[in-house]
Amino acid sequence: MATRHLIIGGGTAGMNAMRTIREEESQRSEVTLVSAERPYSRMVLPYYLDRSIAESHVFTATAKILADWGVKTHLGRRAAALDAKANACTLDDGTKVEYDDCLIATGSSAVRAPVPGSDGPGVHSFWTLDEARGVIAAIKPGSHVVMVGAGFIAFTILNSILSLGAKLTIVEVAPRILPRMVDDAGAKLVEDWLTRHGVTIRTGARLARIEDAKGRRRLRFAGAGDIVCDVVIMATGIKTNLEWLKGAGVTINRGIVVDDHLRSSVPNVYAAGDIAEGRDLISGEGAVHAIEPTAQEHGRVVGANMAGKDVRYRGSLIINIVEVCHLDVASFGAWDDAKADAATGLRADRPAYRKLLFRGDRLTGAIILGRSSDIWAINDVGMLKGLVQSGVSLGRWKEHLKKQPFDVKPAFIASRTTSTLLPETILGRPSKAPGDTPVAV
Amino acid sequence: MRVLRIHPEKCTGCLRCELACSYTQTGTFQPAKSVIRVSPFEGHTSYAPYTCTQCAEGWCMTACPVGAITINAAGAKDVLDDTCVGCKLCTIACPYGTMFYDPDTRKAFKCNLCGGAPACAEACPTAAITYEETATLDWLGDFARERTARVLAGAPGSAS
Repeated sequence: MATRHLIIGGGTAGMNAMRTIREEESQRSEVTLVSAERPYSRMVLPYYLDRSIAESHVFTATAKILADWGVKTHLGRRAAALDAKANACTLDDGTKVEYDDCLIATGSSAVRAPVPGSDGPGVHSFWTLDEARGVIAAIKPGSHVVMVGAGFIAFTILNSILSLGAKLTIVEVAPRILPRMVDDAGAKLVEDWLTRHGVTIRTGARLARIEDAKGRRRLRFAGAGDIVCDVVIMATGIKTNLEWLKGAGVTINRGIVVDDHLRSSVPNVYAAGDIAEGRDLISGEGAVHAIEPTAQEHGRVVGANMAGKDVRYRGSLIINIVEVCHLDVASFGAWDDAKADAATGLRADRPAYRKLLFRGDRLTGAIILGRSSDIWAINDVGMLKGLVQSGVSLGRWKEHLKKQPFDVKPAFIASRTTSTLLPETILGRPSKAPGDTPVAV
Repeated sequence: MRVLRIHPEKCTGCLRCELACSYTQTGTFQPAKSVIRVSPFEGHTSYAPYTCTQCAEGWCMTACPVGAITINAAGAKDVLDDTCVGCKLCTIACPYGTMFYDPDTRKAFKCNLCGGAPACAEACPTAAITYEETATLDWLGDFARERTARVLAGAPGSAS
């Protein structure tokens, strides 16, 4: 009998696993997908919001592709309970799906600030496609939009909101913006840049409640003036979708704890993406990254292992990049490591900032800010990632980089970083192009 | 597969490859839009072109959330303009620093080996860039290490 693989969750991790199973398997298996939503890419929703792409562009698999892949689907259904002892998953309509092995990739969801009125009319999250549709319908040219929360997710839709002709105010409870993506100096530079581009920013702002103001929204704060606006977007964080796994029998810490093959404490149950607590490449510790690149790599590694390969995963690297008003903001690895040997560089004449963090003579983290039009900035983004990812020994180049953090290229090339990186692949073989997935046999 | 082989000791720094590349890729003679970049070494006394190695992993390709990077007939990783949304994930996923982003078109772009007839290799007057059937290698590492020795000579800790 063909092996029965069950994939729970049709996001990045689940879809990468599904494709990799088909790429790697030697015998055709039975693949079942359970997904509450039709598979789409969350990464591209900001481009749907600003109308630069049609809604059809967001989907990562059409019904035809899923049929070509020979995948049995339960779309629009949520997994309600997992019985790892019985190798069975029960869906929210009572359907029971039995498996030989399964992948839990149910991701995370948006959380709203726990204040009165935060679930009322005119208050939105921007995380799922449905939520994106709600925001698209709400924002009109001239609308005043208040974004609650100044983290990465808020910043991914900042350009889109402005390009729709809306006025934008960002309120953040922390004393500064982007608290989990850049350091204080970087945050200050971004804040000044945005203010100059017409965005109003209020930090250290404790939202108390949201009220109706004759059809508009009134935000009340503890110890600061009210803001009246048309649309409120709550970008106040995400939480891992773990509730349905109570009693499933898999070990859960901050996420589902996985080993170096991305197996949970139950060997035939894997976890990947936002829900998995896997190895962080730099610290070596378990971490829930909840970022797209980690979900992609997790998904591919799980897919290969489900297909019978033996792929060990060395860990994932935190990488974030966001562009706001033509300013690129990126950070990698252990950028907030207080014990690292760090060097910074700030250009007085233009918005350009670097922070490089070292342990020994290896680069372990970096922050980079620069204009999108600065070619060197975008090339340096990749090279800094390569230095962190490869962990090459920089030797004397470390001192050079500390003195000249904007002169990355010679350090990268002369440290033979390319030699270290070239043999590296996630699956132990060259990657296949997205369109080359084997289809129905 | 045929790849771009770089012979750094032959490069004169004439930048013809950058002009040829930008013209073929974007229709303008503008080094800023070239995806092969000539770097100076030793205070502009020697030079070397640097571009995408067409690595086996294809970090840019596997990172793309919409499958906008594929492998073309020449075996090169290639951006499909109509599918790319400009999210820049590829620019941060590529560990070689060889993904580019065009703020005018809001698309990523990269070396696609010109579909099998690389303009840089054709334009190079000294055959410092050749298009050959060979395994891709770190063509510049040893050259750069040697040529940068003097830059680093003044750095602290360099006494050894």
